[in-house]
Amino acid sequence: MHTITDVDKYTVEDVRHVNDSTYVLQFSRGGMEFKPGQHLNLGTKGSGQHREYSIYSSPDNSSIEVLIKLVDDGVVSQQLRNVQPGDELSVKGPYGFFLTDAKPKKGEKLLFIASGTGIAPFHSFIMSYPEADYRLIHGIRNINEAYDREHYKADRYFACTSRGNKGDFNGRITDYLLSGQEKKADKVYLCGNSSMIYDAMDILRAQGYRHDQLFTEVYF
Amino acid sequence: MKVLKTVAFKTLGCRLNQFETDALVTGFHNAGYHVVEGDEKADVTVINTCTVTNQSDQKSRHTINHAAAKNRDGLVVVTGCMADNYKEKLEGQEQITYVVDNDRKSQIVELVNGHFTGEIIHPDKMMGDRFGFDTVQKSLHTRTSVKIQDGCDNFCTFCIIPSVRGRAVSRPVKDVLDNVRRVVDNGFKEVVITGVNIGRYDDEGLTFENVVEQVLELPGDFRVRISSLEPDGFSEDFHQLFSHPKLAPHLHLCLQSGSGEILLKMRRMYSANYFMETVERFRKAIPDFNFTTDVIVGFPGETDDDFQKTVDFIREAKFSHVHTFRFSRRTGTRADRMKEQVSGKVMAERSEVIRKISEENRHAYMHSMQGKEQRVLIEKVAGGMASGYGEHYMPVAFAVEDPTTNRFEQVRLTGTTPSADPVMQGTLI
Ligand SMILES: Cc1cc2nc3c(=O)[nH]c(=O)nc-3n(C[C@H](O)[C@H](O)[C@H](O)COP(=O)(O)OP(=O)(O)OC[C@H]3O[C@@H](n4cnc5c(N)ncnc54)[C@H](O)[C@@H]3O)c2cc1C
Repeated sequence: MHTITDVDKYTVEDVRHVNDSTYVLQFSRGGMEFKPGQHLNLGTKGSGQHREYSIYSSPDNSSIEVLIKLVDDGVVSQQLRNVQPGDELSVKGPYGFFLTDAKPKKGEKLLFIASGTGIAPFHSFIMSYPEADYRLIHGIRNINEAYDREHYKADRYFACTSRGNKGDFNGRITDYLLSGQEKKADKVYLCGNSSMIYDAMDILRAQGYRHDQLFTEVYF
Repeated sequence: MKVLKTVAFKTLGCRLNQFETDALVTGFHNAGYHVVEGDEKADVTVINTCTVTNQSDQKSRHTINHAAAKNRDGLVVVTGCMADNYKEKLEGQEQITYVVDNDRKSQIVELVNGHFTGEIIHPDKMMGDRFGFDTVQKSLHTRTSVKIQDGCDNFCTFCIIPSVRGRAVSRPVKDVLDNVRRVVDNGFKEVVITGVNIGRYDDEGLTFENVVEQVLELPGDFRVRISSLEPDGFSEDFHQLFSHPKLAPHLHLCLQSGSGEILLKMRRMYSANYFMETVERFRKAIPDFNFTTDVIVGFPGETDDDFQKTVDFIREAKFSHVHTFRFSRRTGTRADRMKEQVSGKVMAERSEVIRKISEENRHAYMHSMQGKEQRVLIEKVAGGMASGYGEHYMPVAFAVEDPTTNRFEQVRLTGTTPSADPVMQGTLI
């Protein structure tokens, strides 16, 4: 009944750097069942420190991946960067309800809004349901944070860059939403930092979205 | 004559813990133990701990030490959330005989019986059952709780409960209904539906509302109250259930903050707007519906502006009572790691502001109830005055001739006692 335990063994398989401050940590899956959108509590074995990380990979994969951004002076994001293949991890979960009701229905348009590594649950979802009718708006600073952009269909992924001029939109997500260019969806899912989510929700509500069309996952 | 073994209880923390202690009291009583006051020396002392804040840890630790020092020859059983959170540490303490986690709390009577009959087993060897508690005896209270759910998967950033109470689990509807039937047969007139996050109830697709609906359909002269509830735990039609005469028109709906930004930082699953729309929907159907709430002041990053939003919200929603918590850092939670912690002084000031508004709201609500009828469940009669709660969960006092308690009386509300903790006055109809 009480599943918050480390029953399975989870070992590091790979650490792939997607840019100089973000990496994908891949580890063995054990017998874990999860749904796209759920997160894990993750830490190095024995450190006693855990943080939440959304699962980046699809349940169809034999391994689990998480996408982690290094936080300056952060404890766990730094510890996990230094793990080596074969090292054991401490993993608890999966937890959460984000996206778990989003299984694509025919004719349903989904709008995904992510800041930074908040793209992770959407990646898991899209890899699981490539047929979904989605648009993914990704708020990042520079275009080098458009992690694994080639994993998405070109007309469905849309980068808003707050710095530089290489984004599909040069400016913040909120500026893009305010511009009114995005077509109306049936459901909107937002993931990432709370101030982006707060501002975006305000705009979406003003644009006529009902609260039962909006879903959030706050990272910090 | 055989001398009965004595058992004492100490309970810390939430209402669920209190309910679980009540059930254990009943279990020990049924097993032939003599239940004594918590501070008395006893053959068995059960400490039902809490770990929700760092202070709760301290209090729980203090209570354990105190009880153990007093009962050097007796059994000391530590259970509750601290037993889950610090199991190994507690097991290493010689003064504690058994550390029993929440999963096995309901089996403490068997564990202790076994101990005295020489069948000593490690608590971990017992089967877990979150819902295996005895039906509480009527002698303890006039209302009893029925636990329908345990655990929480919400991961609010200030709360350690998901990692100690564990994943959300729901008690099968059939067992819930059996339990309600039993307590009603035992003579209880008010049943409080309780759990850690009851809105997350899910028994093979049956929701919280479904289970409440089925409870309301059970025969008998009793009423149903819902213990504290999260705003995202029900559908937009929930208010319709309250047209059922058995369901008390009161909800303790946890707001925590009136600022949308703070709610997101708390990882609460609703917005302030959504909460207000809910309140309005209920009041449209039942204008005198009574809402009470919990609020946390001084959450990291709470600005004056955020706080003002909470103040405005409380005024607008007209909560008749606000349970105010000063934010308390809990090691292991995200909020503990957040920068921008609010000073104790500011928290104290904010908490005082809310306390005053809560008092004003309460008086205003009581005033608005004057002249109305209430069905009061009498809990106590002393000096010809009966006291108890009406269906809206307001305390009411009125003169009676019949000193019997645990019965309903129809009362007209006439006024309010002028005090900080006011009681409504009434007359029998
Ligand atoms: C449900 C959930 C899912 C998450 N999924 C992911 C994910 O997929 N990938 C990911 O990289 N992170 C994710 N996070 C954030 C993650 O849990 C950690 O907070 C983050 O890695 C920082 O941890 P740390 O131990 O390195 O820093 P800590 O030692 O905990 O210090 C963090 C401090 O830095 C601040 N901070 C600054 N930037 C960030 C940032 N980007 N994230 C968090 N805190 C920040 C915080 O406010 C805090 O004060 C998720 C969080 C939640 C609640």
